[in-house]
Amino acid sequence: MNQILIRHKWEPYLWLLPSILLMGIFVVYPICIVFKLSFSEISRSGVVGEFNGLDNYITAVTAPEFGSVMLNTLIWVVSVVGISTLLGFIVALVLNAEFVGRKIARSIIVFPWATTLVVQASVWKYIINYEYGALNNTLLNLGVLSQSVNWRSTYVVDFIWECGIGIFVTVPFVTFCVLAGLQSIDVSYYEAATVDGADFWMKLRNITIPLVRPSLTVSTVLNIIYVFNSFPIIYTITRGAPAHKTDTLVTYLYMLAFSEQRKGPATALSVVGFVILCLCAGLYMIVTMRKEGDE
Amino acid sequence: MMVRRRNLSALAAALLLIVVSAALLFLPVYHFEANVYTKRSGNTFVGDERYQAARAEIDAMVADYTARGIETEVTEEITERVNSKGDTTSLIVFKVNKTVRCSGWDFLKTGFPSSVLLKIMLGLEALGLLLALAGCVGSLDVLWRDLKGFARFLRTSGAALALAAMFLSVIFVLYTNVIINRQISLYAAGVAPSPGERVLAAADALIYQGAGGEDTATLLKSTSSSVIWTWWLQLPVLLGLTLCLTLVRAGRIDKALQRGLLYAFVVVVCVVTLYPFVIMFTSAFRTDAEATDINFQYMFPVNWMWGNLNHILSRGVLRYLLNSLILSTGATTLALLCGIPAAYAMARMRFKGRKLFMGFVIMSQMFSPVVLLVGISRLMMNLNMNDTLPGLIFINAAFNQAFAIWLLRGTFVSISPEMEQAACIDGCNSVSALIRVLLPMAAPGIVTTLIFVFINSWNEYTISTVLINSDVNRPITVGLTQFAAFSMIQWNYLFMSSLLATIPVVILFMLIEKHLVSGLTSGGVKG
Repeated sequence: MNQILIRHKWEPYLWLLPSILLMGIFVVYPICIVFKLSFSEISRSGVVGEFNGLDNYITAVTAPEFGSVMLNTLIWVVSVVGISTLLGFIVALVLNAEFVGRKIARSIIVFPWATTLVVQASVWKYIINYEYGALNNTLLNLGVLSQSVNWRSTYVVDFIWECGIGIFVTVPFVTFCVLAGLQSIDVSYYEAATVDGADFWMKLRNITIPLVRPSLTVSTVLNIIYVFNSFPIIYTITRGAPAHKTDTLVTYLYMLAFSEQRKGPATALSVVGFVILCLCAGLYMIVTMRKEGDE
Repeated sequence: MMVRRRNLSALAAALLLIVVSAALLFLPVYHFEANVYTKRSGNTFVGDERYQAARAEIDAMVADYTARGIETEVTEEITERVNSKGDTTSLIVFKVNKTVRCSGWDFLKTGFPSSVLLKIMLGLEALGLLLALAGCVGSLDVLWRDLKGFARFLRTSGAALALAAMFLSVIFVLYTNVIINRQISLYAAGVAPSPGERVLAAADALIYQGAGGEDTATLLKSTSSSVIWTWWLQLPVLLGLTLCLTLVRAGRIDKALQRGLLYAFVVVVCVVTLYPFVIMFTSAFRTDAEATDINFQYMFPVNWMWGNLNHILSRGVLRYLLNSLILSTGATTLALLCGIPAAYAMARMRFKGRKLFMGFVIMSQMFSPVVLLVGISRLMMNLNMNDTLPGLIFINAAFNQAFAIWLLRGTFVSISPEMEQAACIDGCNSVSALIRVLLPMAAPGIVTTLIFVFINSWNEYTISTVLINSDVNRPITVGLTQFAAFSMIQWNYLFMSSLLATIPVVILFMLIEKHLVSGLTSGGVKG
């Protein structure tokens, strides 16, 4: 009996009303606008013209950079989410051990997560600068390098840096999700395993990973969405240059819509992005709802 | 009165630490080689007339330097070769050299910039050594039987500090050498770093014992310095010592190795994580020239430019911070005002469409405003809220709504409804049951949600760049990019304003970190 008395049938809806209004106007309505615009002709100055079918989609998809942008998006999401999940898991395992200064270490790990991405991206842009960057400076000071290295020689390298920064800011989130999972594991499992003579790897494979899996699933799905939508890192460091070669879908559609004033194809891409997100969201919903059903 | 073995090994380790630290400080590890005069003499043989003349010139130079108090030594390099006629001739190069070896202690006595920092390091080192010594004595348990606890404290803290001192002394040697090299060569090249004269005087004192006088600048041009013990030679020593200490503490080798690796990993992770923040912090206090010229960059700014703070404040950063505060507070309030009733209904009531709404809430956690930017900007234009803070408040509140409901619902569900039910029977309606009974009990969860929405809105960048055009309405995330114009980036100002934007959020985040995670994963999902 987890409920309270409802006096009128419509009462729950009244409770939900403010929330529904807020989300209806500012979340659902823009979605409708985007859908509608994607099938309309939009002039450079932003005047909405007539229905023009799939023209916007065709323009967007046949653009020469479309293929590389989609590929970049895929690489971006897969590499950032994959590597940061792995690293975050390892870091969480270590931080779950008892050692002096654990609290401090945990507080430090929070830093990249709490900082706004524009700031993170700017700092890294400064660090990898060729002429006066801090990385060159530090390595010169330590005597590792004898002369400055150009860390950003080609756009491929640039994109790798961007992925690296993405990983850097994503790891803390995974770490904390996994930590939460790890802390809920009963110590007696490990004690029993130790009595039975299990070594570290056996415990990891047979106790830790299965019990942490739910946290890992949640963090992975959320990360896919966050990383897919991540805009400031790429925008700050390369702005997609040269010629959209380092753009992902999100930065590309921003550039189309607000720098190049090609709102038509941009809205078409918005819809594409939105559909991809919905697929991920549906997956997440299934996972969450199923978990809920278990209880 | 027994001295236990463990105490003995701790004592040995501490003593070893003391010796190594002291050696690092008092051994002449700095090596300066100055080539003060060179004379080339071609077509000569040792002993002939030209040789004699060159030799006399060199001797005169040496006498001159000796008179000024600079001890030098002369080297001869003879290169023999056969000329076009087939005769063997030789080229003799006479060099007047000055070689100096200094200890870290000598360096501290000079007035090199940043030596305040080094003196603090030295102070810590000395304190560590003292404590370690006292701890060694104490651990013998001979005189102070009653002070046993105190002695143990001394021993452990002393060992810890001495270990820290070991690491510090490596940084010390490394850093001083960088300072000397860079500052001297810059000064000699004519590009004086800011405290130029001081550097010159200090270098004179360190290398020429003050005898260089007015010629110091010229003399220094030919000086090259190096550290004899390079840092990678010291690292194994340090690692060995660390291992040895952990071993002593843990009492078992394999365990100690494991612990050592654990600490090493944690240290690496923390260093990597903090690196950009250290860079941001130090660069925020540099001058323009220091920030954009690698030759002027030391690990820390030469002068800490607090003026940068005044500068950015005069360029509207205060206004941006205020805007961010208004925006985040507004969005948080709105999100909670709408979210709490919804979460309450979701947690406590059964009604048609509950599952549907739940599905929508979960789905819309995934909707990011970024893909919907075009739609949002058009909506804002229709509502006449383009370029206004209220517009941003609504958007941020709306896009954080799903998450807020999710977190709050989790909190409400975890609280037993009996109290409210009792209140309802006593005649309270559900509104007052919520406000008087549930909300106070759910306070931790509400605070977590509140801070989380606040941080999200504070850190939001993309929608703000699109929606806000006028300068007075910019939140800090957009406002700080004015220092990052595409053509010229004023890094020091950019980072100073970034610091202001980051510090409050990091503190808030540390406060809720524990609750947030449980809300994110287990707590929020428990139905």
